[in-house]
Amino acid sequence: MKKNSFNLGEFLKNNSVPIMFIVICSICIPLAGYSPAYLLNEIVTRMGRNIFLILSLLIPIMAGMGLNFGMTLGAMAGEIALIFVADLQIWGIPGIVLAMIISIPFSVMLGLLCGKILNMAKGREMVTSYIISYFINGVYQLVVLYMMGALIPIAHSTIKLPRGYGIRNTVSLLSMRQSLDNALAIRVFGAKIPLLTFAIIALMCLGIIWFRRTKLGQDMRAVGQDMEVARDAGINVERTRLISIVISTVLAGFGMIIYLQNMGNMSTYSSHTQIGMFCIAALLVGGASVDKASIGNVFLGVILFHLMFIVAPNAGAKITGDSMIGEYFRVFVSYGVITLALVMYEVKKRRAKAGMGRQLAAEQQMEGKNED
Amino acid sequence: MKTKKFNARIWACRIGAVLLLLAIAAVMLVIGRGHTVYFDNKTLETESGTYEAIRKITVNVGGERVAKLGAKERGMATTIGQSITFELVIQREKNGDEETVEYTLKLPYSMDGIIVNLPALLEGQPEEVYLSEFIPAPEPVTEEDEELPGEDEMDMVGDI
Repeated sequence: MKKNSFNLGEFLKNNSVPIMFIVICSICIPLAGYSPAYLLNEIVTRMGRNIFLILSLLIPIMAGMGLNFGMTLGAMAGEIALIFVADLQIWGIPGIVLAMIISIPFSVMLGLLCGKILNMAKGREMVTSYIISYFINGVYQLVVLYMMGALIPIAHSTIKLPRGYGIRNTVSLLSMRQSLDNALAIRVFGAKIPLLTFAIIALMCLGIIWFRRTKLGQDMRAVGQDMEVARDAGINVERTRLISIVISTVLAGFGMIIYLQNMGNMSTYSSHTQIGMFCIAALLVGGASVDKASIGNVFLGVILFHLMFIVAPNAGAKITGDSMIGEYFRVFVSYGVITLALVMYEVKKRRAKAGMGRQLAAEQQMEGKNED
Repeated sequence: MKTKKFNARIWACRIGAVLLLLAIAAVMLVIGRGHTVYFDNKTLETESGTYEAIRKITVNVGGERVAKLGAKERGMATTIGQSITFELVIQREKNGDEETVEYTLKLPYSMDGIIVNLPALLEGQPEEVYLSEFIPAPEPVTEEDEELPGEDEMDMVGDI
């Protein structure tokens, strides 16, 4: 019978990152001096803004492709769609829906490209997808900075650079600002709860749970556990991995549109460059690892990571007298948590491999003794 | 060699999904088109006649007052969709009676900014007379002061 005893050491080891963040937040919150209502409002806003984007990371993890740094590609597709929608002057929720539809072909195309390359770089997916995002960022800049307005028609001078081609540094999305968040919003303890955005997030969560139980979802889990075993079982490994990246890219595109409608403006050339790193950091803060992540990790991660983000500048100012220290602190924590998670994953993998090697050697030794 | 079988059902589903998305996109293009409507209370001189500005007009859109216009004044409202319904509360003379009229105007899809001349509209003139396109003044050509990619390093700072 399986013994179900609680091991504190194991628990602390497995949840070291969230525990560390809970400690950081519990120190910083009183120092920052924000009211609970303000913190609640900020956290709820950031949950609505970021959760969809982070959920897009779950499917590649399920397929054993690690943290999809290539989600930036989806973010770029979402931004291109938003530029077109802003130029077409489609406002409000219809504008958001249209942007999502327009982003799909771009996301699929970029996802296919990324997936094909990642299939050629098995075992090195994360670093490869990270570099692909830089490569596609260059292509994005070429298209947005030189082709839009020159080859791709853009009518409005408010979007175009004064030279007549290229898109301005900031595109205003005022016409659709928070239209998703304000629809069906209610106020609880002074915090605005964007019910429609949360309903979309809930649907997405249910979709992921349902997807895990489908044939494709099961295939992805099998591929994630062991590619060779999955191949022997008749699963088309390459196709399954490709689909997981395409789905992730499309969802990242949708997530970016939800994120930017909340912000109300789009930093054309830099919005997407930060997004992948922050989403991955938030997911890892929630207790996810390179090979295992759940919806719970997403929610916990967003709450802890963003809580730290909100309180760090003020807490930094109180401790050191300089708010920039807090700003730097939250940036290096973002990078640090990713590094820590990657190192821990690698250590765990090596330990498991060494353990298996020792077990195999012991078994061989036993067999040798039996034969003697 | 293994050949893939053409599965008509799968292809029908795929084509159906694409068509559905295209249909939704088309609907969004129509119902989500944003316009800025400018209400002019200015004297309009055309070949068909002269329409004098009115002393005071209050414009209500969706039960909300968007402009209170004296003669030679302009107000504006933003709207989504292909038509706008507004209420005009008119006072032609000082201390005179107020009359209220409601209009629903179809808005041309191609125009972002639309000027509605209220005196001509109240005189019952056709669309060509009271409706015109608002063309913003061209921006003065200035030296580019925007910081474009490559001119500055992009790093992880700021809000998320």
